[in-house]
Amino acid sequence: MDPSTAPKQTPPAPLAPTAFEIPRPFKTQLDNGLEVVLFENSRLPLVSYRLAFYQGDINDPRGKTGLTSAIASMVTEGTENYSSKQLAEKIERLGASLNAHSSDDFTIVAASALSLYRTEVLDLLAEVTLRPTFPENELDLYRRNTVEHLRFQRSQSSFLAGEQAARLVYGEHPYAVASPSPADVEALERDTLRAFHADAYIPNNAILIAVGDISREEFLNEVEDQFGGWQKGNKAVSEFPAPPTRTKRTITIVDRAGSAQSNIVLGNTAIDRTSPDYFPVLVMNQVLGAGASSRVFMNLREEKGYTYGAYTRLNTKRLAGDIEATAEVRNEVTGDSLKEFFYELERIRTEDVREDEIADAKSFLTGVFPIRAETQEGLTNLIVNQHLYGLPADYLETYRDNIDAVTIADVRTAAEKYVRPDEMAIVIVGDENAIIDQVKPFATDIETYDTDGKKKS
Amino acid sequence: MPAPFQLQPLELIDHTLANGLRVVLNPDPAVPVVSIAVYYNVGSRNEREGRTGFAHLFEHMMFQGSANVPKAGHFQFIMKAGGTMNGTTSSERTNYYETLPADQLPLGLWLESDRMRSLAVTQENLDNQRDAVKEEKRLRYDNQPYGQIFDLINEMIYKNFANSHSTIGSMEHLDAATVEDVQEFFRIYYAPNNAVLVLSGAFEVEQAKQLIETYFGDIASQPLPPELDVTEPPEVASTYREWEDKLAPFPAFLIGWKIPQRRTPEFYALYLAGKILYDGESSRLYQKLVKGEESVIQLFGFTDERRGPSSIFIGAIPKPEKDLSQIREIISEEIRDLAAHGPTSEEMEKLENQLINDAVRMRQSSMSRAQAVAEFTLYDGDPQLVNTELQDLLAVTPEQIRHAVGTFINTDNRALLDVVPAGRG
Repeated sequence: MDPSTAPKQTPPAPLAPTAFEIPRPFKTQLDNGLEVVLFENSRLPLVSYRLAFYQGDINDPRGKTGLTSAIASMVTEGTENYSSKQLAEKIERLGASLNAHSSDDFTIVAASALSLYRTEVLDLLAEVTLRPTFPENELDLYRRNTVEHLRFQRSQSSFLAGEQAARLVYGEHPYAVASPSPADVEALERDTLRAFHADAYIPNNAILIAVGDISREEFLNEVEDQFGGWQKGNKAVSEFPAPPTRTKRTITIVDRAGSAQSNIVLGNTAIDRTSPDYFPVLVMNQVLGAGASSRVFMNLREEKGYTYGAYTRLNTKRLAGDIEATAEVRNEVTGDSLKEFFYELERIRTEDVREDEIADAKSFLTGVFPIRAETQEGLTNLIVNQHLYGLPADYLETYRDNIDAVTIADVRTAAEKYVRPDEMAIVIVGDENAIIDQVKPFATDIETYDTDGKKKS
Repeated sequence: MPAPFQLQPLELIDHTLANGLRVVLNPDPAVPVVSIAVYYNVGSRNEREGRTGFAHLFEHMMFQGSANVPKAGHFQFIMKAGGTMNGTTSSERTNYYETLPADQLPLGLWLESDRMRSLAVTQENLDNQRDAVKEEKRLRYDNQPYGQIFDLINEMIYKNFANSHSTIGSMEHLDAATVEDVQEFFRIYYAPNNAVLVLSGAFEVEQAKQLIETYFGDIASQPLPPELDVTEPPEVASTYREWEDKLAPFPAFLIGWKIPQRRTPEFYALYLAGKILYDGESSRLYQKLVKGEESVIQLFGFTDERRGPSSIFIGAIPKPEKDLSQIREIISEEIRDLAAHGPTSEEMEKLENQLINDAVRMRQSSMSRAQAVAEFTLYDGDPQLVNTELQDLLAVTPEQIRHAVGTFINTDNRALLDVVPAGRG
């Protein structure tokens, strides 16, 4: 084709499509109940391991908030064979990484390395998982550092907004707890950590996932060596109160004097991760506010210029979930921003989305899928989430078909069910004096907290 | 120790269009996606006094439409194709990039070429994006605890205006900008002969070349931008400043040193010295300050690599009631030790494995490959450096590290910024 005459007024058609399949991984189980998943992939000389437990922060025993996350942080701070410093040196000298963390629903010990060091790193992963000693001096440092971190995060408006939104949306359910209090952390005792580690880190409540340049036979032999003798335990059963049913809009202001912006979060409960409504809600959220071409972004940033970014976010957890609309806006347009948010939250419920909007949302969600699987960490996360949430074995294969099947009517139904502007909790972290008159028209129920999380009025 | 590690070289096909656009192709069919990186040789270093913030404002303007792409259409075309995209501005360059399903390569090239050829610089777009930049400044700098300290310390390190002023710039300067100013900036800097285009991922080389010629071949080249002087005297501009931060909950400090430019043996040696000092839980300062002395909440450090004089930083947020000067003395002691004795053999082994690990991980995604290739092409004129830089880093000796630390860091010629909380406590 002659470049000088090629049509450039309209977007070009795509080339022939290329298929992309993620093969199913190999799965087995040890006699002690440990599930084992291996995804062999030798594209690059790397390996990633995740040893995950099906319990997280919400499984903290009553009165022991922060215990699960403390144990995860402490397993790499000393074991039967190595001190904290020796562990850090051993791992980093391999150029590798090893860490553990907990989320609301899960606890994950993660390691990755050049495949050259796959054996050494799996050994260290087993060492920290099975044989941590929680040395008193390290625990003492953890307590004091964590208390300072808790204090520090109160200077950040995003933390303050998230803390209030979680409390308002989840009520008595433990998802309401955004972080432990300093008193919770100071009360952590070594014996409590040791005992709960023994109860919680059990093979019959865990899954080991390996991805990368590693052969099945070698891997299975090493897993048997490292984890075959790990004793089964009793899986705890937890019951939680349901999140509250909200009946009206409320406003919660976190007064941050001198704040240059208002950090706004509007939220209500939505779906858990395995809900049959997952795909319609995902597509609906994509149209409404998930990215830079969504309705709320186009409205609040591109048309109005109120903010650097405005979004809606879907949080789908194992047992419940929520949908949130968020933006950080300058003080004087706080009320105007609420107006535009509510306009969009109403519109998605009361009008069908356009044909082109749903088509665009679906092609985004299907198109980014291979991009997310491009790195080993990305691929590992897809496989880990599929297994931890108990999604179907064909989940990754059918993901794009499930997106494509969502209709305009499905989106409307999802919005009517899960976007409930008349019941939303409105949280604003900002300068109360500068914004109070602007927000009054949006709810009669207004309460104020300080940045320490204490109620002022 | 690993056996001599053989990193599979990236396949690179390098050519320049008649209008001066440098094009580098890195075909890699592993995953059916393609990344496009367009790097323009303009950053805050090119801004004149009274015109700061222009390079970054321009990055916003590039998403406001062009002859055939409507306002904000760029986001939408990319997203509806299932892609991701962004743009960023630094002192050195302004970059634009997208990752797309492989079959959408023509779309990405069309979008990038349309705005290179015919950006819509209108009063409405300018006003709207000035507002967006102001919000960005409030969000990222003014409303964050410690949000302004990196801009402040650059003013203390560098004497040359090209190097010292911030990328976000002055809002007064942006307010004073006219549409004509912005059009002129576009003409000078957003020309094909002042840019680099890199493709990485799944594509047919001949087809990609043809598409690139189709979309970019007829964009007119421009006279080269004015020469730039980024030279600096060795001395820092200011050795001490106290800064009151309304949002900071704790005191903090940041130390910055002026060091030689990127890709020099001295820069590489100092980059590695930094890793020994502050990178990871086995680093010297982490073990001394977070563990041993238990005196800091957060410790951080990094190098800022530039084509001219560059910098290295170490900062800490100490625990309340801790003596800041004592913490700084411990940092100085470790620097003195490294200047006297150099790294240990264990530290050299760690660096070797970490460098190899970093190089392998960089190769995983088409976007990180495209960005690395684009930087070497734009800054050094040599995309093959992406395949050889690891060897240059691995070749740095303990003696070179010792000597560079002694010369450039173990010195009073450094900027110290003390952050004092000025809020309600």
